[in-house]
Amino acid sequence: MRRPLCLLVFSLLPLLAPSPAPAQGVPDIAVERRMAAELGLQVGDTLRLGVAPDSLDRLVRVAAIYEPAADPATVLRRELRLRMHLPDLAAMLGQPDRVDRFGVALEPGASADSAARALNQAAFGYRAYPSSRIASESSQTFRVVSRFHRAIAVITIVASAIFLLCIMLLKVEERRMDAAVMRFVGIRRRTIFLALLLEAAVVAVLGSVLGVVIAWASSAATNLYYQRFFDTKLVFSLLTPDIVRFSVLLSLVLGLAAGALAAWRLVRTKPMVLWGRG
Amino acid sequence: MEFRWGVRNLRRHPFRTALSIAGIAVASAMLLDMVMLRGGLEASFADLLLVRGYQIRVTPKGTLPLDSEATLPDATGLVATIRSDPGVAGVAPLVATSIYGRRVAGGDSLVTLFGYGIDPRDQGLYQLLRGADLAADDSAGVLLSEASATALGAAIGDTVTLLGVLDPQMAAPAMERRLVVRGVVQWLYDYREQPSVGTVVPLMQRLARTEREDRVSVLLVKAKSDADVEPVVERLRTRLGGAEVNGVADLVRHFQDRMVYFRQLATILGSVSLLVTVLLIGTLLTITVNERLGEIATLRAIGVSRASIVKEVLVEGTALTVVGCALGVALGLVTARYLDEILTSFPGLPATFSFFVPRTPNVVTAILVTLLTGALAGLYPAWLAARAPIAPTLRAEAT
Repeated sequence: MRRPLCLLVFSLLPLLAPSPAPAQGVPDIAVERRMAAELGLQVGDTLRLGVAPDSLDRLVRVAAIYEPAADPATVLRRELRLRMHLPDLAAMLGQPDRVDRFGVALEPGASADSAARALNQAAFGYRAYPSSRIASESSQTFRVVSRFHRAIAVITIVASAIFLLCIMLLKVEERRMDAAVMRFVGIRRRTIFLALLLEAAVVAVLGSVLGVVIAWASSAATNLYYQRFFDTKLVFSLLTPDIVRFSVLLSLVLGLAAGALAAWRLVRTKPMVLWGRG
Repeated sequence: MEFRWGVRNLRRHPFRTALSIAGIAVASAMLLDMVMLRGGLEASFADLLLVRGYQIRVTPKGTLPLDSEATLPDATGLVATIRSDPGVAGVAPLVATSIYGRRVAGGDSLVTLFGYGIDPRDQGLYQLLRGADLAADDSAGVLLSEASATALGAAIGDTVTLLGVLDPQMAAPAMERRLVVRGVVQWLYDYREQPSVGTVVPLMQRLARTEREDRVSVLLVKAKSDADVEPVVERLRTRLGGAEVNGVADLVRHFQDRMVYFRQLATILGSVSLLVTVLLIGTLLTITVNERLGEIATLRAIGVSRASIVKEVLVEGTALTVVGCALGVALGLVTARYLDEILTSFPGLPATFSFFVPRTPNVVTAILVTLLTGALAGLYPAWLAARAPIAPTLRAEAT
């Protein structure tokens, strides 16, 4: 049975200590930067590894410290990882000549699906998958998160739309007296409606611009916080031009619709009622 | 009087009031969902761990239960050591491994299965749905889940073939056993449609080729009482140096670390919901008060006290919040079910797990926080109304 690498990592924790100069023939390992930082490791240090805390019988030398590729699938697990040469790891596990998986490179033009099918027809004890299928399977988690984010976004948009409508309504209602005076001096309803709509448009544009600035700042703050929190270079919040376009367009449409509705209600009201004497 | 007066003012502008209530309802729904998400994750996980009453898990050093393929050697010795603790009421060994099965209908293709090795006398892993449980020494029987019964095309009483580790070089399985299906069970920690089968521990160890070292994946430990859990955990940590010993509280803490994203998201969105509620109520009442300054000044002029004016404005804010909040709770419970359906489709998550748990304390917390926020949001407009100068306001109103 496959022993996980994390077990090896945890196993060496209790026995980490400054060590004498490495002996000849000591296997080399590479340690990821976060692990080196947490354990105070440097290139040239010697460690003992084992598959269990009471059998730390393998001496290894830190030959390199590496920065792993940012992987969203593992960022929450915060495991410490190291890399060994395959024969060294297999020997330590007591399972020589066994592997978890193979990566197979195909000749240019060869179909991955066909190759996997051919391998599976002759398979016993293994299963071949095209890389695209593995990528699709392993991205399931992120698809679920993405669906959740979309659902939250819909709720947020509904809340924002109601909020916007409410504010626009109140904003236009503030102009009751102005609208009444304009009606008394003979200005047409259409002109008043357009004036109120223009005001709503200006408010919507200014609000959208401010919203983009706030979104940009909060996106940057989110990335800064989580990148430090998880010690990773992953991007957690992505503000793309498409998202900005969609949000601004939605705000403008909602703002104008809310302004139009409020203005329409106002111009339909009799001037004396607007004046408070009706 | 202030109550009737406040409600009448709200009814003067039905459209405006309806919009405000709708806004507060959506904000309250979001707040309730986020409170449920934040507390529900931990509550659901703890419930899941405690469903059969086992409060402690013993796993290989540096690992969490079934989080890796690491195993503990000398299971018999470990079980005996743990049972000898005076605070321990029971120990359930568990082997978890990948095995294969052959369909009852025949054919060459194999079905990949999750194999559990259990001790039927002491187990915290399944609930019997149909048929019979395994006997303690039943090495000829097997328990299936609904999913594995479907995958194997087997029913209770059928004989199925299970195969252990496959050797590609020999083109043969390490071990092959024909077993009679005794019952169909629900494996408590399985994800949806997980094809799992269970046998007694020694048989599953043979299928996994770990019988020589007597390896198990996890030991579930039941303390005699909840008060015994912490002392037992401490004693076992001392006695079992090569193993990881965690109580449910420890496991919940590990889980919280993994789910930190959802907890923080819940906090942020919950705070935004509260802010929206404050802004909505505050803005609405401020504009309403400004519109009615003349009326308020008149009331003050005929002897209505400032306190009554303040109470009336606060009543308006509270009435809006109460109605909006009531609608928000209903809306929140509906949206929580929808959001839960999305999140529980995470691959590998136990089917019985929930992200949004509608517990009474969560609902009460969300309601109280919303009501308090709504009442506070009315403070500024109430202050504006109370300090309105009587004479200048009446003069301005008359011109």
